[in-house]
Order: sequence, then structure tokens, then C-alpha cells
Amino acid sequence: MTAVTIDRVSRSFGSVQAVHDVSLDIRDGEFFTLLGPSGCGKTTLLRMIAGFCELDAGTISFGGRRIDTLPPHRRNTGMVFQNYAIFPNFTVGGNVGYGLRARNVSPAQITARVATALKLVHLDGYDTRWPHQLSGGQLQRVAIARALVIEPEVLLLDEPLSNLDAQLRVEMRGEIRQLQQTLGITAIYVTHDQEEALSISDRIAVMRAGTLEQVDKPDAVYRYSATPFVAEFMGTTNLLSGKVSRREGSHVVLTAGKTEFHMHTNAAPMTDTVGFCLRPEALRIVADRSAVPDGWASLETQILRVEFLGALTRVETRLADGEMIRIAVLDHPVDTLAIGTTLTLAYDPRRVTELKTS
Amino acid sequence: MSVAVPRNAFPLVVTAVAFTFLGLFFIYPLYRVFGASFLDASGTNLTLHNYAKVVSSTFYRSSVINSLTIGVLATLATTLISAPLAFCVARMPIGGKTALLSLAVLPLVLPSFVSAYALLLLFGRAGIVTSALESLGVPVGSIYGTPGIVLVYVLTLYPYVLLPTVAGLKALDVSVEEASQNLGASRWRTFWSVTFPIVIPSILAGALLVFIETLENFGVPFVLAEDKPIMAVEAFKLFVGETDANPASAGVLGVLLVCSTALVVIIQRRFLGRRRFATGARRSPPLIEAGAGWRAIATAYCWAVVLTSLVPFFAVIVISFMEYRGPVLHPHFSLENFAELFRRSMRPLENTLLLATLAAFGAAILGVPIGYVATRFRTRLTGILDIVATMPFAVAGTILGIGLIISFNSGWLVLTGGWLILVIAYVVRKLPFTVRASSAILHQIDPSLEEASVNLGVSPMKTFAQLMVPLMLGGIVGGMVLTWVAVASELSATVVLYSGQWQTLTVVMFQALEGTGAGLAAATASLLIFFTVLPVALVYRLLRRYEMSLL
Repeated sequence: MTAVTIDRVSRSFGSVQAVHDVSLDIRDGEFFTLLGPSGCGKTTLLRMIAGFCELDAGTISFGGRRIDTLPPHRRNTGMVFQNYAIFPNFTVGGNVGYGLRARNVSPAQITARVATALKLVHLDGYDTRWPHQLSGGQLQRVAIARALVIEPEVLLLDEPLSNLDAQLRVEMRGEIRQLQQTLGITAIYVTHDQEEALSISDRIAVMRAGTLEQVDKPDAVYRYSATPFVAEFMGTTNLLSGKVSRREGSHVVLTAGKTEFHMHTNAAPMTDTVGFCLRPEALRIVADRSAVPDGWASLETQILRVEFLGALTRVETRLADGEMIRIAVLDHPVDTLAIGTTLTLAYDPRRVTELKTS
Repeated sequence: MSVAVPRNAFPLVVTAVAFTFLGLFFIYPLYRVFGASFLDASGTNLTLHNYAKVVSSTFYRSSVINSLTIGVLATLATTLISAPLAFCVARMPIGGKTALLSLAVLPLVLPSFVSAYALLLLFGRAGIVTSALESLGVPVGSIYGTPGIVLVYVLTLYPYVLLPTVAGLKALDVSVEEASQNLGASRWRTFWSVTFPIVIPSILAGALLVFIETLENFGVPFVLAEDKPIMAVEAFKLFVGETDANPASAGVLGVLLVCSTALVVIIQRRFLGRRRFATGARRSPPLIEAGAGWRAIATAYCWAVVLTSLVPFFAVIVISFMEYRGPVLHPHFSLENFAELFRRSMRPLENTLLLATLAAFGAAILGVPIGYVATRFRTRLTGILDIVATMPFAVAGTILGIGLIISFNSGWLVLTGGWLILVIAYVVRKLPFTVRASSAILHQIDPSLEEASVNLGVSPMKTFAQLMVPLMLGGIVGGMVLTWVAVASELSATVVLYSGQWQTLTVVMFQALEGTGAGLAAATASLLIFFTVLPVALVYRLLRRYEMSLL
């Protein structure tokens, strides 16, 4: 179990800066996720930790011990690959025991440890099966057992669930999280799926074009996104910008077009014009202005489009000045949402988040 | 995706060993040939005199022109015959398609000079067919010179165009053609505006191999050219000439030959390298629903080409079991030709089997790691290694042989006169086979397998030996068999390098051609056919599985 320190690491491929001056402190036993769109450098960063990609600059240490100078086979990381990378010429047991044989563990020990590892991933008794006899989910479990059985200092997972179907993906991410908690191992997880990242991580680093946009706990990354990029990447949102017009107690009033928004903040806004976001589900449909809860602010909008998604209904609405406002309502009868209807929307000014320009 | 792995000695070791071997036994000999062409008779002064002499000689000038003319003609003819053939095989309902494709691979492994020799036996001046027709009063045109050589090239080299074109047509995704038709193009228009342009690179890649093969081939022109000078043959004659051995002039022809093939390869890399259309086939287009008439025509065409190419070999086998009295053939079954062959000596057969086996192992031991390193550890250095290791296919065997003799006839390392120099020449010449085979298999194995192994604590060198070699084994064995077969029928370098007791079957045949022993030559040819077809037949399934593109 090990803390991982990434210090000012850079790497470019030709003219492309894949990773640019990234520093991260990953705590011992933490489940840490690198999240971002494809090409943001998250996989490159993971491969640098594993040793499959050279660093142009910077250092990587495990528990204060510098490891970026070690060849990949001497780093003692356990990696789970996107396509599982199960050796087709070995049985399940042969695959799981592969790393132990490389470490000259005695055959009796190997048998015992392989059995334990397979039990951990609910594949007891599968050790004599061949990979081609297994399903995608089972191969995934073999890959995880193979990475864990060597008792690595750090578990590295490179989009391990992207080849599974939706339902299995949800099931497996729960299992991976539980395993990591049970073993208390440090895990670094790469994904482009924000929901996956939110559900599984202790902390998330959102990456963009080789740099870190925000590093924080899942709810903080979602609710208090630092930049417009993070706000949009973490889920549907309303990105707005308004002029600071006045302060009302703990609120700052921002004028966007002809609409006033209230933002809860104790600090003075940094600039005259402020970019901010307001999540669709933070807006609640109320009967009229009198029904707005105490301390909340309200808006009047007109329904443009309704998208029914089952549990959730997404509604696109328009303010009087033409600005689009998206809302999301849970378990709401769709027939009350006729196009053209005027809605009164209430929101807590605490849910309005100021964004850094990025 | 392949990313350079830091602090890894394995690719460096392989690259160093490979460059040492190729530098010593490929680059250096070529350099010596090059050097010889610029030295005067005393061997000390630089001069352009040799070039002037060759260029001013009508004879040698015409050898260059003849070689190039025959190469162009053969390439054009082969392409014109093979491209429609490939289309029929890939897209038309042809009777017995599996058998057809299996037979169509054979000319690649059968020695082409045997085909030339069969043509001579059948249609030569004293040929069986010629005599028969002449006795009936039917005049027969001469097959000596350009027509015969081009014919043999077409019949033996057409798979070089056929196989990549079929592969190209099958790699085309059906949706591309459907999109064209959906946008309003007729079937005919779709073919000319979409399908054909997409397979052009495959056709041209094959045509290039044909052209190079025709330039460097020694046996076919040696059998059929008669008085017509051909570069690869004249270089050999100049070098070994008993009365007027002239390594300088041989060097000049060698340099011209190597430059011609190198030029073609460079042009190909320039213009073809970028024109690669990967459509990422999920589903190949369906067979065309043609009428019975078209089907019959296509079937007849395909089988006619494939069977015609095999007739010469079949004829040689039949003839080898007939009785020769002097130069005259008698239509009786006899094993006398074989008895005669083995009475003389078993050594040539043993030599062929031994040398081919050594060379197959040598080429695999050297070529597989080269292919691995060049595919998986892409750096500028391994890129150069990949190019250098595939270059020998563009160098005529005769010229490499001459270079090896000039280089290792004296000095600190003397190799001439033994078996080792033959094995070295074979390994160099067939290295592209195993390098290409190795990288072809690797393209079917996900790189993350090796990364997983390394990640679990096994060093890259051990990963290669313990994990990758077993995974690649089928392909490696296939590549070795192809190397073995190619070496068993190798003539051009052997004829320069062999000495005394190290005669091979091809040399025996070569000598029999010069003399009058037609029965002996036919028996040797039959043995060669046996030893090339048998191993390929044994591993045919393996080769199909790895879709081995024969180089």
C-alpha cells in the first residue's frame, strides 16, 4: 500500500503535448480516477506510472521511492487492461499465477494464492478453464485477479469496463470498488465515463489536453465544478455569464441578458463579469412565485422541448431574453409539460457555482 | 499502439546483432561489388573506365535493355491476367474455389527454372511437342528469348498479383459499395469509381514484386535466353568466366541491377506508401449473382490460368519417369533417371536438405526477433532495421553471391569453399520472409499481452521468449517452411557460391542443363518439386490460418 506522487510530469508525441506539467498526490489506499475525453492524456499518464511510456520531464514516486527510472517489470504495479490482455495460451490458473512464477514463488504457494485470488473475484474452481471458454465479464475478473495476486503496490486500471455491456458495467464497478476497499490498496483508474468516475472514486482528476482541470472529491467536482469544461464534462448543465450588479446579503446578483440570477458567495466576485453554472436538477418547477422556498430565487421560462428519459425528464426552456435554460425533473407527469407553457423555476442560490475561465 | 519502452536492453541487443549480421554479410558485400566496379585492373585506382566499357559495349547495353524490357512485359502481362483472375476468385461464384486457390499458391514455391526447363523439353528445338508437330508438318515458333522467358514469368509469378488483390478485394467493406449504389451509381460505375481504385494499391504492390523477381531471376533466362544477353546471367558469366573472369565488369552489371530494383522499391514506397485505403472490413461484399454463361466463362478462365501454370511441372514429372537414350526420349516407364542420379552421388540431395534446414532455422532465429522489435518497439533505429532487413529481396542472388566471394575469399574471415557461406547467403536472402511473417503474426496479437506480462514482472526479453514465441509459433513454423522451400530451390546465389562437395540439387540440374543429361535434369527437377510441394502441403492449413502473404 503506497502513496503515489507525480511531480511535474510531461510527455509529448511529436508536436502533441500528451501530458503537460502534471503534479498529483495520490494518497495511500485511495481510489483515484483520471477522467477526461479521449486524447486528454489520461491513458498516457497511467502508462507512465506502469512504465510503458517514457517521461520527458518530472518524476513519479511510490511512497517516496522514485520509480520512473525503473523498467516496467520491476515496478510492482498490477495493471488491468482495457481488453483484459488474458494470455490465450494459459489456463485461468496459469494466467493468475503468471506474475507469481516470475517472482519465483514456490508452486504450493502459487496454487494457494491463485485459489484465494480467484475466490476474491468469485471465480472459485475456474483455474483449469481456458480463456476462450469464458465470457467478457469473467475474463475481466481473471484480469483483476491476475493483477491483485502479485500484491502490487498500486493497482492500475485502464478503462477496464468499456468492453462490457451496460448492466454488467454497473455491476462490475461496484465489485471493483468493494474489492479495493476490502484490500485497502491504492488504485488509479482511467475512464472517460463521468458517471463511472463519480460512482467509484474517492477523488477524481479531470484532465483536458494534457493538463489537470480540477482535482477533487466526486460531489465537489460535480457540484462545484471549477471551470466551464469540467462543468459541461461532468453532466448536462446551464453555462451562463452575467454582470455583477449588486450584493444582497450573502447573495451576489448577476444580470445575464434581462434576467437576474442570485449566487450565494461570501467572497467578492473576482471580476465584473462572472461565468457561472446552474445544474438542471437544481431548478425546481413550482406553482407560482409564492411557492418559492425561503431564501431561494426564481425564474420564469417557457417550455421549448421535452425529452422523456424514464425516471428523468429533461426540459429545454427559454428565458424572456431568449437564453436557454435546461431543467431536469424526476418522476414528473409529462402531459403537464406542454410546449409553450410558462414555468416558474425556483433554485437555491448555493447551487449557482462561479467558474474560473479556462 | 506501440510506445517505446524506456531503459530496455532487449530491442537494442536485437538491433545490434541484426545490424552486425546484415552489415557484414549484406551491406559490406554489396559495398565491395560497388567498389569493384569503380576500380581499375590493378585494383588500386578509382576509375569510371569499367562503366564506360560496359555502356559502350552493344552486348552489355542490350543486356540491360533486354532485362528491363522483359521485366516490363512480364509485369504487364501478369497484371492483366491476374487482376481479372483475382476479381473472379473474390467476387464470382467459381466452381471448386478452395482447390483453385490452393493450386494457385503452388507456382510460388515451385522452382521457376524447372518450369522454364519443362518448356524447353516440350517446345524447345528438340522438344517433344515440337518434334511431334513438325513430323505432322506444323511449323512451331521459337520459344527462345523474350517470348519464352515472359511466358514462364507470367505462369510462375501470377500469384504475386493474385493473392494481394484477392486480399484487397476481400478487405473492402460491403457498405462502401452499397453507399455508392445508394447514391445512385450503377454497379458498373461503382466498380470503376470505388472498388477498382481501392484495390489499385494491392495490384501495384504485387506488380512490383513481379518486376523485381523478373530482374533478379537467374535460372529462367539461363535456360531460355540462348544468345540473348540478360543482366543477371551476364554478371554471373563475367564473374566466373574461365578465360576472361572480369569482376569489375560483373560489378558494373551488379550495380546497375541493384540500382534498377532499388529504384522501383523507392518509387513504390514514395507513391504507394501513402495511398493505402483501409476500409476496415466488417463484412466482405457478397458474390455477384451472375448468369450461368458468365459463371461458366469465369470458371473456365480461372481454371485455365491455374492449370496451365502447373502443366510444365506435371510434364517434368512425367518425363522424369521415362527412358532417355542419350538425348532421345522413349515413351517407356523407367526409374533409370533416378537410379542414375543416385548412383552418381547422394550428396546433392543430402546437401539440399541439410542446407535448407540450417538456413530455415538461421533465418527464423534472426528474422523473428527483428520482426518483433521492428513491430513493437518503433524507433527511428528499428525503422531503419526493418527497411534494411527487407532489402535483400530486391538484390539479385547472383550479385549477393559475387559480393560474398569478393569479401570473404581472403583476409581475416575466409568463408569461400564451405557450407557456411551458402547458409549465410540463404539466411540473408530469405530474411525478409521471416521478418515479414513475424510482423504479420504480431499484427494479430494485441500488444497489451506483452505489457501485461511485463507489468506482472517478466522482463521484455523473457516475455518474448516465454510468452510471444509460443503464441507466434504457428506463424514462425509456417515462415520456416516457406524459407526451407525457397532455399531448396534457390539457384542464383548457389551457383556462384557452391564448391566441390557442396553441390545442391539445383546445381546438379544446372550442370545437367549445360550438358546433355536431360533425363538426369528431369529426375532432379522431379525431386525438387517433391521436396517443395510436400512441406507446403503438410503445413498448408497453418499457412492459411496465418494468411501468410508469400513474399
